Amino acid sequence: MLDWCFGPQWRWRLKRFFRNGKVTILCLLLTVIVIRGNLGAGRFGTPQQDFIEIRDHFYSSGHRSEPRRVLEEAQTTATATTTNDGDSNSYEQFDINKILVDEGEDEKPDPNKPYTLGPKISDWDEQRAEWLEKNPNFPNFIGPNKPRVLLVTGSSPKPCENQVGDHYLLKSIKNKIDYCRLHGVEVFYNMALLDAEMAGFWAKLPLIRKLLLSHPEVEFLWWMDSDAMFTDMAFEVPWDRYKDHNFVMHGWDEMIYDQKNWIGLNTGSFLLRNCQWSLDILDAWAPMGPKGKVREEAGKILTRELKDRPVFEADDQSAMVYLLATQRDKWGEKVYLENAYYLHGYWGILVDRYEEMMENYHPGLGDHRWPLVTHFVGCKPCGKFGDYSVERCLKQMDRAFNFGDNQILQIYGFTHTTLASRRVKRTRNETSNPLEVKDELGLLHPAFKAVKVSSS
Amino acid sequence: MGHDTGTPEKRRALPTTTANGGRATTARVPRGRQIHRTFNNIKITVLCGLVTILVLRGYIGLNLGTSDADAVNRHLIEETNRILAEIRSDKEPDDPEDQSESEINPNVTYALGPKITNWDQERKVWLDQNQQFPSHVNGKPRILLVTGSPPGPCDNAIGDHYLLKGTKNKIDYCRLHGIEILYNMAHLDKELAGYWAKLPLIRRLLLSHPEVEWIWWMDSDALFTDMVFEIPLPKYDGYNMVIHGYPDLLFNQKSWIALNTGSFLFRNCQWSLDLLDEWAPMGPKGKIRDEAGKILTANLKGRPAFEADDQSALIYLLISKKDQWMNKVFVENSYYLHGYWAGLVDRYEEMIEKYHPGLGDERWPFITHFVGCKPCGSYGDYPVERCLSSMERAFNFADNQVLELYGFRHRGLLSPKIKRIRNETATPLEFVDQFDIRRPVHGSNGSRS
Repeated sequence: MLDWCFGPQWRWRLKRFFRNGKVTILCLLLTVIVIRGNLGAGRFGTPQQDFIEIRDHFYSSGHRSEPRRVLEEAQTTATATTTNDGDSNSYEQFDINKILVDEGEDEKPDPNKPYTLGPKISDWDEQRAEWLEKNPNFPNFIGPNKPRVLLVTGSSPKPCENQVGDHYLLKSIKNKIDYCRLHGVEVFYNMALLDAEMAGFWAKLPLIRKLLLSHPEVEFLWWMDSDAMFTDMAFEVPWDRYKDHNFVMHGWDEMIYDQKNWIGLNTGSFLLRNCQWSLDILDAWAPMGPKGKVREEAGKILTRELKDRPVFEADDQSAMVYLLATQRDKWGEKVYLENAYYLHGYWGILVDRYEEMMENYHPGLGDHRWPLVTHFVGCKPCGKFGDYSVERCLKQMDRAFNFGDNQILQIYGFTHTTLASRRVKRTRNETSNPLEVKDELGLLHPAFKAVKVSSS
Repeated sequence: MGHDTGTPEKRRALPTTTANGGRATTARVPRGRQIHRTFNNIKITVLCGLVTILVLRGYIGLNLGTSDADAVNRHLIEETNRILAEIRSDKEPDDPEDQSESEINPNVTYALGPKITNWDQERKVWLDQNQQFPSHVNGKPRILLVTGSPPGPCDNAIGDHYLLKGTKNKIDYCRLHGIEILYNMAHLDKELAGYWAKLPLIRRLLLSHPEVEWIWWMDSDALFTDMVFEIPLPKYDGYNMVIHGYPDLLFNQKSWIALNTGSFLFRNCQWSLDLLDEWAPMGPKGKIRDEAGKILTANLKGRPAFEADDQSALIYLLISKKDQWMNKVFVENSYYLHGYWAGLVDRYEEMIEKYHPGLGDERWPFITHFVGCKPCGSYGDYPVERCLSSMERAFNFADNQVLELYGFRHRGLLSPKIKRIRNETATPLEFVDQFDIRRPVHGSNGSRS
């Protein structure tokens, strides 16, 4: 026994023990690190989270926590920002998910049945005509050439992911309220997702159908995206031009029917008449919409068939281009692709020219000289990332808003100090004879708002 | 590890390596033993190498893709940060400081504008000459609902979100009742900023829109919760101002919350212009407002010490010049032209169960007003969670009444998602007749042009 413990063998055994031990310990260390790296060790989190926490510890939390909320997932935000329990009156670190309750189940669609927007209606024109006759108090024309128009727009019921997205949505709806007040158009702001299958840009289809059927007194439904703003407050849509058409979109015939270009028209701002034809085209439009496999596959078809379309799931605009290009005989006659004025105006080519427009032209033109609508496609101020630089988008949206707002303010004798400024300055002094003052654009009591004088 | 096989050789190898440790020993070490030792060393080296790589991977990330995304992320964070700070700041880069504007002379009473004394006649003449802009449409007086918010983003994003929801709520009510909305985001008068900003705005609108019979000011934190109820305007034929309050609190107790200027109506007439002129002097910011605040705190019961606000100033004015003004002011409390939220929001479920829209009073409040919540600022007078969840409930409570026509309802008063309550049909018009709030069935008038 003693011989085994002490003696030349002892050193050798010891050395062997250490050598094996080295290897064992290395293996153990390896295992621990792998596990730690992948699963995390309880409250210490994964190494990446550690890194983030260490980084935050060294930088002031005020600066970093805000942009992190902008660009990271809500979960990380909830774990990373420590709630100040004693400060519950402060709005600064509030997480909306604490109060919103997601209850109930989504309707599960039958996978065997093809998607429909609703039960097929074939006699809508007759139903509607009968209703209008029985309800003379709700005429579909409110003036000799003026149909009753409902402007429909909307946004998500949850707060924007971006810090300032909601502010721009607010400005956008104020802009629409102003235009619609001047032009006698009603506004419907939607914040409800009527059909979970048609989420995202397709959500407008079930909404439009529902509104057409629920408001027979409405002659034209005007869909407008939340990122589109009115920049010509004096321009009245030439309703007469469309008396033989049911669907008016901004676009070019050649780009759709000849080139099949995916941006040959724009579905961010369009007019749809309340009639059977519209219900039919909505039904024909919808099948590419249901999310999941259907939308993905449809996206591939569209990318293949349409010119210049990038690869992504099917969107309503491409689907409409495809529908018109392939079924021109069926639908083309009643579709008017308007390009005489900017029913939709791509912002990129307009926003830098506002000063030039103010110098050379005047409101009421609606076209490239003074666009009716400036549409901020691709900016996505409510989301996390857009296709353009954040700075350019937000600054230009401010300018477009002020450009439109100036036309409203001038009615009351004010204007923004510059197109970039929130401040306003007086352009007309107050007088003791306010009724003699006429605003330049004649928007205070415009002709298109005049009520029919009853012959008495 | 094969320590057994190595034993006999090691017994021989060990003394040699420890004794010499030099080149000479290599010739004497058997080949197999050498290879075995090399393998052992390689094993350990490889293991160490793996450990190092994993440690590096876990902490720094050797994957080139992630570092790219991080750089892009960081750049976006910085850019967004800078832009948000710029948007939020009051300083305008291109805006020349208006130094020429002189300080308000405290000895001269502040005036909203040049005095007008014959507004009633002027307005009547205008209406006669402009028959296409009548003051009454389809038998109902023309109302303009005025609301607003500051031109810049709120201190926190959630504030803007609730401003947006509040605006949608007002759009819905006004569409159903043929009322026009004006949403103001401009400071018309630098002196009268804050809660006083409504005064110059209301005056400006009264004078610009003679066709408007009533101007209805509504705070941005007030929500309609009864979509069917309509203000009984014929009741106010002999009055020029309608405001929610309690006469007892006003005259006997002189309480600073006897009336609420968050929701009130002004008739378009000379009397209103005169009242606005009398109301304004406590408003100009700075010394005047502070001093006025002290007077108000001294004279009104329960008022804390802060600068003069429009509500306290109006109460003080109506109390001290009761005979001059009160005969034309209707202090309304038979329905909630302004409904203080704290006593109402918890009862919504009970209301849904027992009552129905159209009552406007404590059974189904017309307006729920979130005084003190201040979601656009940084701090409110109440816990944030209570305020925001209550606002969400009030919004959904009202939205349910709008969605009913379309066959939907929110899943819960706190849920942004909706559920179907009526199946789609091929004859939707029968439901339109039944559920549209504007239809005669509900007792409200017909169309608006």
